[in-house]
Amino acid sequence: MKVDRRSFLGLGLGAVAGISVSPVILKLTDDSSIWTQNWPWTPVPVDGEVSYVSSVCSLCPGSCGISVRKIDDRPVKVEGLDEYPINDGGACLHGISILQYLYDPARIKTPLKKKGDKFEEISWDDAVSMVAKKLSDIRSAKTPEKLACIIDKDQGSVSGLFKRLMKSFGSTNLYTMPSFESYLELTAAALHGKGTTIGFDLENSDFVLSFGAGVIEGWGSPVSCFKANASRKERGAKLYQIEPRLSNTAANADKWVPIKPGTEADLALGMAAVILKKNLFDAAAAAKFKGGFNKLAATLQNDYSLSKTSEITGIKETDIEETATLFAKAKMPVAVFGKGRGDGSQSLKELIAVHSLNCLVGSINRKGGAFIQPVKNYLEFPEESMDDAAKEGIAKPKFGQYVHDLFEKVNVSSQPAVEALFVYQSNPCYALHDTKTIKQAFGKIPFVVSFSSFMDETAGEADIILPVHTFIERLEDIPSGAGLAKMVVGLSKPVVKPLFNTKHPGDILLLIAKALGGSIGKNFEWASYDKCLETVAGSIWKSLSKSGHAILAKGVPEAPPEVDMTFLAGNPASVQSNGDGDLMLIPIDNMRLPSSAPAAAPFSIKTVSDEVLKGKDTVVEINPKTAGSLKNYDYVTLTTPVGTAKVMINLNDGMMPGVIGMVKGLGHTFDNKYVSNKGVNINDLIGPVIEPGSGVDAAFGIKVKISRA
Amino acid sequence: MNKNDKKAHKFGMVIDLDKCTGCGSCMVSCMSENNVPFKEDESNKKDSITWMRVYKLTNGKSFPETEIVYLPRPCQHCGGKGDHGHSPCVSVCPATATDYGYDTGIVSQIYTRCFGCRYCMGACPYHARYFNWWDPKWPEGMEKYLSPDVSPRMRGVVEKCSFCYHRYQAAKDKAYYDGREDIEENEYQTACTTACPAGAIVFGDLYNPAHRVHEIVKPDPHPASINSTVVGKSRNPNVFRLLERLGTNPKVYYLSEREWVRKAGDNYLAGEWDKIKNHHGSESHG
Amino acid sequence: MDSALIPEGAKRCAFPKFALGIAIVGAVVLWGVYAMGLIWWKGLNQTNMNDNYGFALWIWADLAVIAVGGGAFFTGLLKYIFKVDELKNIINFAVIIGFICYSSALLILAIDIGQPLRGWFIFWHANVHSMLTEVAFCLSCYFAVLTIEFIPNILENRQANKVPFFHHLAHNMHGVMAVFAATGAFLSFFHQGSLGGVAGVMYGRPFAVREGLLIWPWTFFLFTWSAAAFGPCFTLLVTKITEAVTGKKLVKDNVVHLLAKISGWMITTYIIAKIIDTIYWATVTVPGLGLDIDHFYSNNAFYGYWILFTEIIICGVIPGLLLIMKSTRENPTLRLLAIILGVIGVCLNRWVMVLQIMAIPVMSFDTWALYIPSWQEVATTVLPVAYGIILIAVTYRYLPVFPQEKELNAVQPVTETE
Ligand SMILES: Nc1nc2c(c(=O)[nH]1)N[C@H]1C(S)=C(S)[C@@H](COP(=O)(O)OP(=O)(O)OC[C@H]3O[C@@H](n4cnc5c(=O)[nH]c(N)nc54)[C@H](O)[C@@H]3O)O[C@H]1N2
Ligand SMILES: Nc1nc2c(c(=O)[nH]1)N[C@H]1C(S)=C(S)[C@@H](COP(=O)(O)OP(=O)(O)OC[C@H]3O[C@@H](n4cnc5c(=O)[nH]c(N)nc54)[C@H](O)[C@@H]3O)O[C@H]1N2
Ligand code: SF4
Ligand code: SF4
Ligand code: SF4
Ligand code: SF4
Ligand code: SF4
Ligand SMILES: [Mo]
Repeated sequence: MKVDRRSFLGLGLGAVAGISVSPVILKLTDDSSIWTQNWPWTPVPVDGEVSYVSSVCSLCPGSCGISVRKIDDRPVKVEGLDEYPINDGGACLHGISILQYLYDPARIKTPLKKKGDKFEEISWDDAVSMVAKKLSDIRSAKTPEKLACIIDKDQGSVSGLFKRLMKSFGSTNLYTMPSFESYLELTAAALHGKGTTIGFDLENSDFVLSFGAGVIEGWGSPVSCFKANASRKERGAKLYQIEPRLSNTAANADKWVPIKPGTEADLALGMAAVILKKNLFDAAAAAKFKGGFNKLAATLQNDYSLSKTSEITGIKETDIEETATLFAKAKMPVAVFGKGRGDGSQSLKELIAVHSLNCLVGSINRKGGAFIQPVKNYLEFPEESMDDAAKEGIAKPKFGQYVHDLFEKVNVSSQPAVEALFVYQSNPCYALHDTKTIKQAFGKIPFVVSFSSFMDETAGEADIILPVHTFIERLEDIPSGAGLAKMVVGLSKPVVKPLFNTKHPGDILLLIAKALGGSIGKNFEWASYDKCLETVAGSIWKSLSKSGHAILAKGVPEAPPEVDMTFLAGNPASVQSNGDGDLMLIPIDNMRLPSSAPAAAPFSIKTVSDEVLKGKDTVVEINPKTAGSLKNYDYVTLTTPVGTAKVMINLNDGMMPGVIGMVKGLGHTFDNKYVSNKGVNINDLIGPVIEPGSGVDAAFGIKVKISRA
Repeated sequence: MNKNDKKAHKFGMVIDLDKCTGCGSCMVSCMSENNVPFKEDESNKKDSITWMRVYKLTNGKSFPETEIVYLPRPCQHCGGKGDHGHSPCVSVCPATATDYGYDTGIVSQIYTRCFGCRYCMGACPYHARYFNWWDPKWPEGMEKYLSPDVSPRMRGVVEKCSFCYHRYQAAKDKAYYDGREDIEENEYQTACTTACPAGAIVFGDLYNPAHRVHEIVKPDPHPASINSTVVGKSRNPNVFRLLERLGTNPKVYYLSEREWVRKAGDNYLAGEWDKIKNHHGSESHG
Repeated sequence: MDSALIPEGAKRCAFPKFALGIAIVGAVVLWGVYAMGLIWWKGLNQTNMNDNYGFALWIWADLAVIAVGGGAFFTGLLKYIFKVDELKNIINFAVIIGFICYSSALLILAIDIGQPLRGWFIFWHANVHSMLTEVAFCLSCYFAVLTIEFIPNILENRQANKVPFFHHLAHNMHGVMAVFAATGAFLSFFHQGSLGGVAGVMYGRPFAVREGLLIWPWTFFLFTWSAAAFGPCFTLLVTKITEAVTGKKLVKDNVVHLLAKISGWMITTYIIAKIIDTIYWATVTVPGLGLDIDHFYSNNAFYGYWILFTEIIICGVIPGLLLIMKSTRENPTLRLLAIILGVIGVCLNRWVMVLQIMAIPVMSFDTWALYIPSWQEVATTVLPVAYGIILIAVTYRYLPVFPQEKELNAVQPVTETE
């Protein structure tokens, strides 16, 4: 056939016409849309059998009960556990995000060893024997005190095992990170004797006087506090919030009393003076106070007159008088302390001064007040057998009482003061003040072993990382604390099989002890951590394993404790802030951002306001009056004696003039694009201020200079 | 469809703003329940998918008179003018990819039908609708936590709060399986409601006088006398709806004892609020 | 080189010069196509739109080209239905401009939607309550009509016309064109209107919402009216530009004056309606929703009262008056000014009815949302303009678009002067 132009044209047109009327186009159109509905790169969750597992959350000291919905063996949703004695349904955003921690890209999947600047994977056997070898060397050198250990908290069986290892090894250098629980115990120790702690019966109190406690910002046991706060309206209870900034708690309170930062102790003492002067105190209780109560009372009338207190704190005399009076006259008042979440640096003088108000009005061990009870040691570890080296070791003094003392010691010593450091589930390189000096100390410790689930700032400084299961992959007893009125031990369960080549921290300690052998090995002769827990939990194991928790104490404790006013009667000095800037930089605790380990999950970060984090910048709060000509989202440089940072500003009428508020929990630097490299870590800007008399780091802020960037 | 669903429901919510702490649990619970994705930078709130978004409101006064309130905003499941089911968004969707459930009052969203014209987003005054500007991506392995109850959405479609419709389906299935006619109040609760640690959210059937949401809201079944497009106004003087005057007829109600907060729920001309603020809720504004 | 294709007796520039021009504009097209590819491949994250600004530059461009493309349906209506015979001298060009505008509009829609491959769901799962459904149906049908109206002109190409079938087809199509013009006018009426309805029915958006007649908000009628009023301005403007570029007079003054006069009266009546609508909206509708008109025009420098004043007075009242008065209408400079103002005015109206709506907060605690388009959006918006220039250049070169061209340019210089 001859194909001329005409027939070609005809053929072409015919083909087009043919295809148009055939179903081909329709079919292709349909198929292409079906393809868009099934894009292979959009995940399709697999369906399966639904089941629920209950457990306990230990992301924070809250210790809430959780219920995990699973599809076959995959956990898909976390919710608060109904009828759990602490939270009774409801969970905070971090608890709900637990699965993002489980699958966190920053998880450490297998033991690692530092080589140069990088980590290389090693086997568990190698990792454990390297640790054992180092520890043996330390012991051979007869310097067991040169093994130091930092753990996240004091209570529970895992902490118990760390303590046991340290003791069997012969070192007293075991430290816990500062926590609300530790401040409660320090306060209780000063006023009521060692070994006691404080719980607040918020849900029954009719007048909560909060000295900056972020009752709905993660303070105490967060969900429990949310609930107690939410029921205020129905109960006719009042909340007065004293702090420089209109926090969420202040906004939700019946009254917000702005106060000059760092003068809370003075206000508490001023209020005590009012209560004494007006005879509103509980005379029967006060009669039993020890340690120079009369002297204190006299000092108060002298140094803390209304006018003086008003001048120090910046609060109107009438407000001080009225608030103190309302507090003292309430049926079941309670004064709560611990600024923000309560786990940041705090002045012991302030905590004691505030708690003295509870003592003064007779709110101790009374419904709706503060409960003083001994710290319950519910675990029955067998007595350690100690060899001579251990006995000699533990006779040597500890470097200091607090974790900052340890780093101070390391930094000032020319010879390594610490040969090996264990860090368990804490992130001192991020969370302690003046992170530069902390990292410097890490650099001076020859052998750092991290027990972490995530590659965070501290794990990054380690020589060996022994990755631990996340808490939803493991069994563990979770004692409540955090200022709860009840004492509950929950059982955290392995909701999901461990995803990676990680181990239970307890099992790792068993392995290390075994490798060390001798009396140390003998002190750890359990077959596994799980078996160990079952044994040491003794009498409560049945309840733990059956109902998932055991209640150690609830209701009003019977015997009123002793009250010893010695600390205040000694008229200790107040903490002053460092620096010479004309503004004050204070940290802000934000419910949506954890300030310590572990860092926020992507979901939590997602909820953070653009008035807190914008792009990669921290946004600080400043009163429009203080900001002068600066506009919202202008860049400024903050300069403190410790560091400088470029941030954006948010003009916020809720911030006291002269004060700049910066959120805690940003500025992580590890490798996780969803949470890290966002904003600045406030701990890079604030340095420790050691409180005279107590030795705690009590920095409440730092003087700062601000300039347009 | 199901014989166990003879009765029509009108599911709704009342959120106590005096209890709400702004904690964000509802936001995260919603994201986790409904497979909402996340991306590296979520600080641009105008492209950040949050079916439940907690707004921060201030009274605009300067220190120390400033006040803050948090206002959680799911989709309002608008009944539309006269509550006839022509929600602002539903009535405009050209492809019927979002629809009004006359038996539930729930405004649905069908991701596989939506072709991403975004007209519904323009029509919604509450910014309750979100577009998938990006392909949803989870870090490697994390897609394992996705729930099969809710399909992850592909790029290019709109999504929004569904009142956790799958939970309704599950509750209905269970009732059917048990041979019951209808579901109980506690059987169908949304993920934000159950998560809220403050108990600020109450969810239930606005038609059912036994449900808490009905008890608190006391919805007026008659059209408002001044504006006949407004139906279901609360007879509780402390309860209000967002932009009620537009006639969108939201099924999400808010509760606050604070006057400035109630006033912030809608727009008022100068002086208007003072005239009506003390009136009984139901006739408080036209 | 391509002289065999050029209409008989018409003078056109040399092919290389033509090719160079096309190549330059073609480069812009390629830039646009690249951006379009990016958008289809990577999704709408290539734009600066966001959840507040779900409608942005494109939808404005879409509405604007459709509005200015309104010259086609309105001229067709006048020519074929009202038998205004002089308009036969500009109808071809009006149709081509309309074709460009509507094909551009469809292309923009295909880029704008998040799931282009599902675009047809608008027909398949049509929601009759949605103005956008109405837009989609009428727009596609009208585009088909425009294509049909365009075909005879194409077939009049010197070579095509040699084929007897094509010759007769073209001839017969001209004969029945009145039917299509009527259909087109009807369809156009509805989709122009439904585009207006898109805004007017958004009762959640006080800035957009209008009361109306039955299911149609006033914006429905205002959009149709304004497209009919300002569309011819655009036809005249493009004609003027084409004349300037080619250096030839292509349409006789009486035709231009007639179209300008009709446009002038349409603009004037439209703007009166628009003013009434605005006053009613500002004094009744909006206060009824608790808002003061200030709310929509304050807070930022961009969306100020100036925009309202510019749209209604400078680009509405003024061109209307200039075009209805014989002296100003027949003054080429003032007429051109009026035409330009008119085109700006209708485009500004579409901007306001799409973008300003998105920018304005409705909830008392919400904030204004402003947006700046990304380069991909700009490129894809420029794309239809470049494509339009090419299509006009090609059709002008090869088709007998302007029946009066030969007559008006009868005395040709010996050498080409273009
Ligand atoms: N119990 C109960 N059963 C029902 C109904 C009910 O009310 N209750 N309703 C019935 C009705 S009306 C319907 S339509 C069906 C719906 O039933 P299904 O179609 O089974 O349900 P979906 O959850 O909509 O989607 C199914 C799966 O598709 C996945 N998916 C989502 N997007 C994509 C994608 O792009 N590609 C691929 N490959 N998969 C994707 C989802 O993750 C999900 O696992 O259920 C019916 N069955
Ligand atoms: N969040 C979320 N939303 C969704 C979906 C989802 O997966 N998730 N899926 C979407 C899909 S695919 C669908 S199909 C829809 C389903 O949404 P709907 O169509 O709202 O489905 P049903 O809730 O089952 O409601 C059907 C109604 O019909 C009533 N009915 C049953 N039998 C009869 C009868 O014989 N006559 C009459 N008149 N009424 C009867 C039932 O009582 C019930 O009220 O939901 C959509 N919405
Ligand atoms: S408050 Fe603490 S314990 Fe409770 S869910 Fe949140 S992170 Fe977990
Ligand atoms: S979870 Fe409850 S308290 Fe928290 S923000 Fe949401 S509604 Fe408010
Ligand atoms: S809130 Fe918005 S998305 Fe939800 S029903 Fe109303 S208009 Fe639609
Ligand atoms: S974006 Fe989707 S749901 Fe919204 S109007 Fe368009 S097609 Fe409908
Ligand atoms: S009802 Fe469900 S979908 Fe809607 S905001 Fe709450 S959790 Fe999210
Ligand atoms: Mo369906």
